[in-house]
Amino acid sequence: MESFRFRLAALVMRHRGFTTLLFALVTAFFAVGLRNVELKTIFSDLLPKDDPFVQVYKDHPNFGNPLTFTLMIQRKDGDIYNPETLAKVWKLTRDVDLAPGVDHDQILSIATEKARYAEATPYGIDVRPLMEDHAPTTPEEIAEFRARVDKAPGARNFLISGDGTATLINATFIERLLDYGEAFNYMQKLVEAARDEHHDVHLAGQPALTGWVYRYESQMFVIFAVTLAALVITLALYMRNVVGVVTPIVTSAVAAIWGFGFVGWLKSPIEPLLMIVPLLLIARSFSHCVQFTERYYEIYAHLRDREKAAEITMGVMMVPSVLGIFTDIVGIFLIAIAPIPAMERFALFCGFWAIWLIPTGTFLISLLLSVLPPPKNIDKLVGHGGGGVHRKFSQLLRGVAATTYGRPARVTTLIVAVGSVAAIYTALQIKIGNPVEGSNLLWPESEYNEGVAQINRNFPGVNTLEIVFEAKDQKSPSRVTRQADTVLTMQALQAEIERSPQPPRATLSFGDYLMEANRLFSGGNPKWAPLDPTDAAVNAAAGAVMVGSSPKAFSNVIDFEQQNGTVSLWFKDNRQETVDAALAEARRAIDKVGADHKAFLIRLGTGTIALQQAVNNVVDRYHWLIIGCLNLVILIGCSLAYRSLVAGLILLLPVNLSNVVLLSTMHLMGIGLDVNSMLVAAIGIGVGIDYGIYLLSRICEEYHGQDHDWGRTLTAALTTTGKAIMFTASIMMIGILPWYFLSDLKFMADMGLLLTLIMLINMILALVVLPLIVWLLKPSFVGRKDLLVGESVDLSAIVAEDLGSKPMQSAPA
Amino acid sequence: MWIKKYDFDYGRRMLLEKTVKGVAAAGVLAPLWPLIGNAADSSKAYPDELLSIEAYTKGKIKPGDVITASNVEAVKDLLDPIAYQQVKTMGRRINIVESTKDVTKLFPAEYLEATLKNKGRAKLDGDGNVFTDNGEPWIGGNPFVEPKDGVEAAANLTLSWGRHDYSMYAVRDWDIAPDGTQAYQYDFVWAELNNTARVDGKVWNGKKDILRYQSVWFTSPQDTAGSSYLNTWYYDQRKFPDLYGYLPAFKRVRQFPTNQRFEPLVPGITFFLSDAWAAGDPMLTWGNYKIIGRQPMLGAIGSRNFMGGYHPNYERPVHGGPKNQTFHDVWMELVPECIVLEAEPTGYPRAPVGKKRIWIDVRNGMYVAYVTYDRRGEIWKSFEPCYAQYSNDKLTVKDGAHPAWSWVAVLSHDIQANRMTRFVQAKEVTGGYKSGYSVGKDDVYNKYLTNQAIARLGSA
Repeated sequence: MESFRFRLAALVMRHRGFTTLLFALVTAFFAVGLRNVELKTIFSDLLPKDDPFVQVYKDHPNFGNPLTFTLMIQRKDGDIYNPETLAKVWKLTRDVDLAPGVDHDQILSIATEKARYAEATPYGIDVRPLMEDHAPTTPEEIAEFRARVDKAPGARNFLISGDGTATLINATFIERLLDYGEAFNYMQKLVEAARDEHHDVHLAGQPALTGWVYRYESQMFVIFAVTLAALVITLALYMRNVVGVVTPIVTSAVAAIWGFGFVGWLKSPIEPLLMIVPLLLIARSFSHCVQFTERYYEIYAHLRDREKAAEITMGVMMVPSVLGIFTDIVGIFLIAIAPIPAMERFALFCGFWAIWLIPTGTFLISLLLSVLPPPKNIDKLVGHGGGGVHRKFSQLLRGVAATTYGRPARVTTLIVAVGSVAAIYTALQIKIGNPVEGSNLLWPESEYNEGVAQINRNFPGVNTLEIVFEAKDQKSPSRVTRQADTVLTMQALQAEIERSPQPPRATLSFGDYLMEANRLFSGGNPKWAPLDPTDAAVNAAAGAVMVGSSPKAFSNVIDFEQQNGTVSLWFKDNRQETVDAALAEARRAIDKVGADHKAFLIRLGTGTIALQQAVNNVVDRYHWLIIGCLNLVILIGCSLAYRSLVAGLILLLPVNLSNVVLLSTMHLMGIGLDVNSMLVAAIGIGVGIDYGIYLLSRICEEYHGQDHDWGRTLTAALTTTGKAIMFTASIMMIGILPWYFLSDLKFMADMGLLLTLIMLINMILALVVLPLIVWLLKPSFVGRKDLLVGESVDLSAIVAEDLGSKPMQSAPA
Repeated sequence: MWIKKYDFDYGRRMLLEKTVKGVAAAGVLAPLWPLIGNAADSSKAYPDELLSIEAYTKGKIKPGDVITASNVEAVKDLLDPIAYQQVKTMGRRINIVESTKDVTKLFPAEYLEATLKNKGRAKLDGDGNVFTDNGEPWIGGNPFVEPKDGVEAAANLTLSWGRHDYSMYAVRDWDIAPDGTQAYQYDFVWAELNNTARVDGKVWNGKKDILRYQSVWFTSPQDTAGSSYLNTWYYDQRKFPDLYGYLPAFKRVRQFPTNQRFEPLVPGITFFLSDAWAAGDPMLTWGNYKIIGRQPMLGAIGSRNFMGGYHPNYERPVHGGPKNQTFHDVWMELVPECIVLEAEPTGYPRAPVGKKRIWIDVRNGMYVAYVTYDRRGEIWKSFEPCYAQYSNDKLTVKDGAHPAWSWVAVLSHDIQANRMTRFVQAKEVTGGYKSGYSVGKDDVYNKYLTNQAIARLGSA
């Protein structure tokens, strides 16, 4: 009783008024920070900041069209060359010009004057829009329009599908003015209104993806509310008294205010895609409170003094609680090792939230218990056996316990050993990356991904790799993309890549526009397309292309100041084999033409393909590193707490095995490793190890109570704490699993599924493998009485000391 | 002191009343044009608060003061919305000077003379084109000194852009990126020759059906030098001008679609052909002209804006923006009465512009501010001119017997993309071309204003 934790508990309870005031003040402080809380997906923050591809993307954010909405209008029963479809394209194009934040200079469709055809005439070059000042209506006008399209290779390749059934409208927005939600709602409304029995209309592009994610994120609040309500109902059903329900809710709410308020004060936006983790923390806080409260009931049943019971509960539970939460904190903070800004911000948010669970889950909860009226059904609550369900659980756990010691343990060991080897083997087969046609934030059959798939089917598509030509002098007076070396190197690179065994579907560079201009202005004969290898010739062609237009018209291939350019390569899909081959081929081609030129550097690269690889690289680099670090920190922490290295190892073995089982399950389900699974693995170990800590602490305690009989010890531990673990795991799953069924965001659903799986596997392995290892090793630390983590307390001594004649009603749990 | 009998808001109230009643006569206390005809002094037509910025702002702003973010609220109503934003948020400063009372300083002398001489003789025909009372193309000066409607006000802007029968402007241009750095810099020459609506009252070369020839050719930097354009404007304002471009490297003339007027001439420039002179398109290709109000305004119209003697090439000090080079230094003054005119590009079914709004000084019929809105109604671009009589304390440039008058600088700000184009009418630009307003002995038509001419200019 003289240990620090009990003295601290006594001090807190002695100054309840002061402690309560302190909590009130801190809560008020963080509550003020709530006004700055911002939930926002910053897409570029989902990318690893130190990856060379991401650095190219950040240096040249305009390449790969990140601000462009793409609409595809497809005629279901014929081609687009009819008055109805062309009128629809005209109207949609004009309506797109009314979108909030659109760059009026960067709308391109067959109906804009930017889609032109040119004819060489005896007097010069006549350049005209494909459509006159109205959509073609008569057969003659339509025939004329079709003839003009034939003279416009740009439109033919990139605006009208090969079979003539589909056409695109590209609209680029001004980043400073773009409100993704507002723009997307506007565009989506246009798309929905334009669909009819003859036309499919699809919307794609990065801003559309952002819009969808925002739309689904608003759904998140509903799921959040649903799961929260489910948690409270479960709690109410389990506890069936006011204290038992109010205490976890108040404690968790205060921790939540601190958690959100903290990032509010830091003005660090919260990533909504990861909001499942805070819910896990709420569930974690709930289950912790339940265990704390149950322990309080037991002690109160003995002492019949709320204050004293709360004080003793605080003293008893302090170290196991802190140790359990410590592992959560480590798990969450270590996620920040991966250099992904969204993860770093999130680790800060959730890591501190987890830290806040210590004061709230130790002191605040004790203060609450000491003032709230004690439940009337206290005897029933601490009574043994409980109802039918409780009894069934006990029977089940007794059965589980029986497999972990004695003769049956040999069979169990064999099964676990074989299962572990199989799981490790299967887990090692897992691949990195989860390619989805479109975005893996959304389901493959989502409207967005369906739109992307349709566009990929009819046009070069959206799976691009951008190889950037970057000027060494960003203010070069002779504008680097207008120099012969730049343009000819671009063309050489394209030729090199097009000759490869798996060539891209299409390639495009500024050089292609220059060749077309060269052909046209030299008289129209295709033999005049190639550029003379001189600065004068290239510059002349660039002048011909640029005259009478804004550089924005070519922002897909060069920047506004014509200093940097890109070679775009379109691939048929984004499967890992395609990505690997594309990058290898690009590297080979760059080596061939040389990456370092006098005026520019060639940098690989940006675009969907490169950025997907960047994320895969970070998973590859950090998945095992994070798990390794987590093991090390937890090993040190637990070894100190149990004063035994063996204890640390015993605790880590089941959680790592759980991780391996999860990976093998994922592999069997066809899911690859990605950022999601990295997060789940870290949280799985950090949170999952709690089960082991609870159980091992109880084993240590029971070992003395059961006269050093291992079999009885394990049975007693499993039927008491094991039940609590089952409850804890269930409550966590109630908080997480609904996300899998309710979320239209695949990212969130996946995380819900994986977290549920890991919690389930963790629970099973903690209940089976941990006792089994203890039985096999029979470690000596179990017999020590000076462990920090022990939850035992001699209540009879307290009763005798403080309360005189009050009878004992129950043995310590 | 007699003005004191009018209360402070009298002038503004009267301008409002004139708008509501559709009164065309300029002036508040007395009709303006008889005063201009007699002594060219406009001060008797307006009360103090419309002639003095100090009176208008109740002492908050005085001549000699500089408008900055800290005091711009006092003149918010006197600036176009983009200029206000520039001062409020981008570090722009505007110098304030006394208002010009002598109207002769707001025109080239011959143009004012023609305006007065031909006053009352202009009529709009059934199509909306301007003809004299005897059915001839317009004979010079502002056709409608007191425009009764928007089309008449637009005619004053359109028929003679630069107020000279022939002008050649040597233009130096800088295009400033959102980060304040210089993205592009060009030297170009702009020549305009009126065939009709000339102050000499003649029809040039007998071509009654042509309003003007106008060409522009770039002389620097090297990669753009030689690119040139020729615009031929018909007198019939319903017809689109012919637009040809010349590419020296290919020795070819390129014909542009005649309705393609919402694109920049060269990369980096923010304004379109359509924006030039606030009347860059034939006036009847636009429609729904409306005078939506009359108001005082701040305008850069006084001779302090002439940089002759202050800079050898008439270039201007700059300031503001992220790199302290986004805005020209200008000297604005209170313009007592402006017509606020709006129009829509009804002849351009693909125009990205929803409408333009123009503030026109009723004294010389010239615009002092111009902005365009997109089709959503969001403000998009400004084309803010700066004029001067070319005569200051250091230098006077003569145009014939009188001090010259012309524009000296323009700020064209695309506030959506946040790109600024600023240019000055320099004394001279690369290629040795000098600004000037008379034909002299030159055959300017054959030298600068034909397809052969622009081809030759390109190869030079």
